[in-house]
Amino acid sequence: MSVSALVPPLAQGDFFTDRSAGAGNSCVAGDGLCPKWMVDNFDQYTGPLVRHAELTIVAVAIGFVIAFALALIAERRRWLVGPVTQFSAILYTIPTLAAFFLLLPITGRGFVTAQVALVAYTLLILFRGVRTGLDGVPPETVDAARGVGLTEQQLMWQVKLPLALPQIIAALRVASSTTVGLATLAFFAGAGGLGGKIYDDLTFKSNVVLASLLCVLLAVVLEIALVLVQRALTPWTRAVNA
Amino acid sequence: MSAEDARTPGPNPNPDARDGRPAATLELKDLLKHYPGADAPAVDRLSLTVPAGEICVFVGPSGCGKTTAMRMVNRMIDRDGGEILLDGRDVNERDPAELRREIGYVIQQIGLFPHRTIAENIGTVPSLLGWPKRQIADRTAELLELVGLGPEFASRYPVQLSGGQRQRVGVARALAADPPLLLMDEPFGAIDPITRDRLQNEFLRLQTSLGRTIVFVTHDIDEAIKMGDRIAVLRTGGHLAQYATPAELLLDPADDFVERFVGSDRALKRLALGRARDLQLLSFVRVHDNDPSDWVRSQLAAADHPVPFPLVVDADDRPVAWLDEHDLARERVRASDGSEVAIVDEDAVLRDAFSTILQHRVRYAVVVDPRGKALGVLSADRIADVLLPGDEQEATAPVHEETR
Repeated sequence: MSVSALVPPLAQGDFFTDRSAGAGNSCVAGDGLCPKWMVDNFDQYTGPLVRHAELTIVAVAIGFVIAFALALIAERRRWLVGPVTQFSAILYTIPTLAAFFLLLPITGRGFVTAQVALVAYTLLILFRGVRTGLDGVPPETVDAARGVGLTEQQLMWQVKLPLALPQIIAALRVASSTTVGLATLAFFAGAGGLGGKIYDDLTFKSNVVLASLLCVLLAVVLEIALVLVQRALTPWTRAVNA
Repeated sequence: MSAEDARTPGPNPNPDARDGRPAATLELKDLLKHYPGADAPAVDRLSLTVPAGEICVFVGPSGCGKTTAMRMVNRMIDRDGGEILLDGRDVNERDPAELRREIGYVIQQIGLFPHRTIAENIGTVPSLLGWPKRQIADRTAELLELVGLGPEFASRYPVQLSGGQRQRVGVARALAADPPLLLMDEPFGAIDPITRDRLQNEFLRLQTSLGRTIVFVTHDIDEAIKMGDRIAVLRTGGHLAQYATPAELLLDPADDFVERFVGSDRALKRLALGRARDLQLLSFVRVHDNDPSDWVRSQLAAADHPVPFPLVVDADDRPVAWLDEHDLARERVRASDGSEVAIVDEDAVLRDAFSTILQHRVRYAVVVDPRGKALGVLSADRIADVLLPGDEQEATAPVHEETR
């Protein structure tokens, strides 16, 4: 087990390769796809995997808080919807690597820089998701809710948001999958993650495949978790004519 | 027996809300709404009083401001002038949300909460008012029964109900906290005609026992005549053209507009004001299957019956068949020889009774009570008499007193 797996690769000044555990194996020497090597060296990947999950979950969480707050503010101030959407769309188009290098002088290398960029990418998806959900609440439901005496705050938290939930969770699912992918670039900002492992040894199939599989696995787990949350919170969407 | 016992027969899960909330009197004074940018006001100095416990229908063509006027009462729309007094107190003195919890609200699109069960929908206002859970559950069960839905509906979601069932829930939700005033905006407008008719009848029956003050908006004059104790006819621009009982409206329209709006068949529409039970029914000869024909003949001859045909009834006194001279040829009468009976419920409006008679191509209909027991005979002539001038007192006036 090498300690280097936990160190941001760029911080060492060079790409780092560690095939020591499989040294002497012809499959490994030939850059092939070696299941045994993958199993033997799996523990090298757990650290980056955890880091990758942190990068993703924290970015989506922060992005959600910001997008959600903006979407609620825009409920009363409709004119905000256009500018916020356009601004987050511009953020969305900035190349990730460019964003990291632009942020370097401000936030330095590391987790924070990666987060700023990753959060920025989630905003467009999440803001639009929350707005789509809120805009999709039937007007007669809103009228009836006010008419029977719900305050504006009760209307928002007891009626509009529950009804917007399927759209909101759909947006969270897209945002988390996207962020798992984008976070593979986070190591360029010195924030680690599975991307670091991939770029460690791009020519070694076993390495690239294992790291990529873990990315996919992470995305799937997050997706399933969100689907379960949605099922638990929106029982009415499954009600059908008895 | 103490006065306490006499006052509360049977279980009453919510005695406070019941006893403490008599129906309210609603007064509109010079009510004005002028939308910015509009040439003319939407509601123009509308003044009227809805007495406690009555159904007042706002009716008029689209754009007459009837919905706007109604929505100003619970402050869903801000008024631009005038006063709205609920039991003498101006609604603008109240917090809007608090005010609305005391005013039942039913709209055409129903607006049930899709994410809440039927029970939760009905319990909306009680939970806003902070009733204990147990009391809410009891009240919800009571209301489900009141609007004719079984207890199995409690845990369903709105998407699982038909339009008619949903509007029953809408009405139940509005009635949940026993509000002194109900606002209903075309509540049965989006429902198929057969279900609509049934819901209207059920609602009138409910109102007989509940005695709420109701503002009911519709564009349908027939519905207005059927539902209203009083009708406010509004013309475009929010002017009150006439405010009168349905009978007055039909007999004496205030002007050409009202006359045109109630329709050229307004004389016939008066048939919607009376019910079969309001008319004096004719007596008839009551016979049973297998009675001797001679005996039946003697009965017909003995009494001076206005109906020249004997009616066969079953053991429960339910009408089975009319007999005529031909059918008395056998020694004993047989119900199977007779002809079909036009049957009219005692609660049926005269228009429907008349229609039933015409459909059967006969002159007589048998009026039955809810159990189907024959009460008497109604003739087409008798109904036509109602339409003659001078006879309207009997047909119209008592009817709406009784629906209360």
